[in-house]
Amino acid sequence: MTAQTTAIPPMPPAGPSASRRPTARTDHRHRASHPATFLIPAFLILGVFFFLPTIFNFVYALTDWSSFKSEIGFVGLQNIQDLISSGTLLSSLRITLVYAVLVAIFQNLFGLLLALLLERDTKINRFARVMFFIPVVMSALAAGYVFQAILKPDGAANAILSALSGQPVTIPWLGDTTWTLVVVALIHSWKWMGLSMLIYLAGLKTISEDVLEAARLDGASAWTMFRDIRFPLLAPALTFNVATALLGSMNGFDIVQATTGGGPARTTELLNIFIFRTFGQGLFAQATTMSLVLFVVVVALAFPVIRTLRKREEVL
Amino acid sequence: MKRYLTITTAAVAVGLLAAGCSDPTAGSGGADPSAGSAEWPAQDTDLTGTTLTIWAAQNSNTAPDAVVAGFEELTGAEVEVVTIPDPYEQGVQTKVATGDLPDLAFWQPTGSMLTALNAPTNLQPLDGAPWVDSYSEGLADITGILDDTRYAALITSPAVEGVYYNKEVFAEHGITETPTDWDSFLETARTLKSDGETPFFEMAGDQWATQWWVQVQLADAAQDGLWDRVNTGEEKFTDPTILGAIETYKGLVDEGLFNEDIKTATFEDQADALLAGDAAMAVQVNSFFGQLQAKADSAELDEKIGFFPISPTGNVGTFIPDQSNALVAFKTGAADQEAAARQLLSYWLGDGYADFVADRDTISLQDGVPTPESVPQALLDVHASLGESVGSMQALAVANPDLYIYLADMIQGTTTPEEVAQQTQDQFAQLARAQGIEGF
Repeated sequence: MTAQTTAIPPMPPAGPSASRRPTARTDHRHRASHPATFLIPAFLILGVFFFLPTIFNFVYALTDWSSFKSEIGFVGLQNIQDLISSGTLLSSLRITLVYAVLVAIFQNLFGLLLALLLERDTKINRFARVMFFIPVVMSALAAGYVFQAILKPDGAANAILSALSGQPVTIPWLGDTTWTLVVVALIHSWKWMGLSMLIYLAGLKTISEDVLEAARLDGASAWTMFRDIRFPLLAPALTFNVATALLGSMNGFDIVQATTGGGPARTTELLNIFIFRTFGQGLFAQATTMSLVLFVVVVALAFPVIRTLRKREEVL
Repeated sequence: MKRYLTITTAAVAVGLLAAGCSDPTAGSGGADPSAGSAEWPAQDTDLTGTTLTIWAAQNSNTAPDAVVAGFEELTGAEVEVVTIPDPYEQGVQTKVATGDLPDLAFWQPTGSMLTALNAPTNLQPLDGAPWVDSYSEGLADITGILDDTRYAALITSPAVEGVYYNKEVFAEHGITETPTDWDSFLETARTLKSDGETPFFEMAGDQWATQWWVQVQLADAAQDGLWDRVNTGEEKFTDPTILGAIETYKGLVDEGLFNEDIKTATFEDQADALLAGDAAMAVQVNSFFGQLQAKADSAELDEKIGFFPISPTGNVGTFIPDQSNALVAFKTGAADQEAAARQLLSYWLGDGYADFVADRDTISLQDGVPTPESVPQALLDVHASLGESVGSMQALAVANPDLYIYLADMIQGTTTPEEVAQQTQDQFAQLARAQGIEGF
């Protein structure tokens, strides 16, 4: 899903520049030159494409809308009760959370390593950055299908391992009920690590050369410099990267659908895949209720995570 | 100013909400009371300037080729075949729900799947169609009917669940007669196993065929009205009949009568294994034979592959029409367009049927159109078993739960037979309730 980049707005550059309240006079002048009516087009778009679907999400969750009949009746909280009692929702939710946490860890780890590796502006590094960014702009379904082909029992991955080890290897990479979730999380991270890399690179560029030079003069080793100076100063980039990776992968669907379709034994069935399946059966109201649950979980997760990460930035 | 904005936004939101809170398909020509006595245009009525759209799945999108070519030439119409990606049924239901309708679509002609499309609202009734009398005996009313109204046109022989076996493997181990009931079926399997063969091949990696094993065991019960009782909530998936079938299936897997790679094996693997003689038998439906046809010619298939239906006490097949067997016509709201769609169906099962049967190399459903000589014997056997076969869950139950997914989970080792039955029952009840069926 493209939610990766749209989940939260980019952070403003961190620093002591807390916003100042405008005085009464400037406020008045500001109003005259920027009439509020200018906001109407933006609000209309926001309303129709963001607020309205969200409101519908709440409304339809309380109905019995389905493909089986034309009338839509109000059923109250019946859908939510059914979902909670069936247990499938909770298991999908658990899988989604584990997946999101794995993606957040892997994607940031890979992104940070790449950024540190490709930090200097040499020709080779510039080329490598472009190469690592290509998966980000690639279609997620295409990436998923390519990996599905590579990881099949008779796919390229096993063929390479067989050639290296000298004996036939037939690991079902996508057929393990425990580890396949990790494999798909790695694929997701591979696809998006270029974006994290770019943001970390931008973060590294903003670190003042003076600070680094002072540290060098004090005899700090490369590791000490990273641990005590560069990593703490990357806090805004980390906030953005962790938040987008975590919340974006909560909305994950395409990569997993293309590689495993939720299998084996539904151990990689993310909530969105479950929603897709339910919707496809014609149970539209139930599917809507599930996406409402996803919405609530993402919101409930977003606020504490972003607040905690923003707190880290305050020391800067 | 701020308050003014808030009020406007709220008013717009409420307005759109009120306008949007109804089924987008509700108004699409559903109220026409005369639709029942639809008129049937002559097959060669001029249709220049008309474009018809047919939705097809990945495995049925070439089926209309010969018919489309003939129809375009005869009438001057233009026919577009649009492939809806798999899972086909989900894709079609989703599109229809948002008001996107084709003129015609391939569709599983069972009651549960016609209900899933909200047939009374979205589909044209096909009562009184000119081709109905041309069907061979017993085929006209076998399927495609919901609440006494015909909604689907059957074009090919409906699939039958039964056992495809490798004749050479049977011969090698001195098995000359095919099993005559469930016990002799298992006995044959155990003999083969003790001789070092793999008796059965299952494809739990692709999941969907897992349900055939349970359904063939229910053939006798189905004859005895099992699905009627399930439909009213009188009997449940968790009751001994269905749960017992699931347990038997699990027992056979645990006994080691299946292929070793059962958890990851796919549909393609299954066809390859049966053709190569790596496994002796597979419980499957007609599309499996289609897969075999893609791998070998008719002569080789006649020599190697045979078919027999199986049921607990005999050789009764379980029929399950699928999407490639039938077409439905949608109420698109434009009378000319709807008539043109019916005209295409008349041609398909009328003057165009001989070409269609020859092009697809398939069994003819009409006495007036001969079945091509080149149709393999196994398919003829399947068609022959259709006459006395009983309906599958898909054909007779009011809803079609994902039994195959739950069974595949069980084979992966994450659930027990009791859990499979419970999950299936819960989903069945949920779907039945959504349809407003009493007792759920």
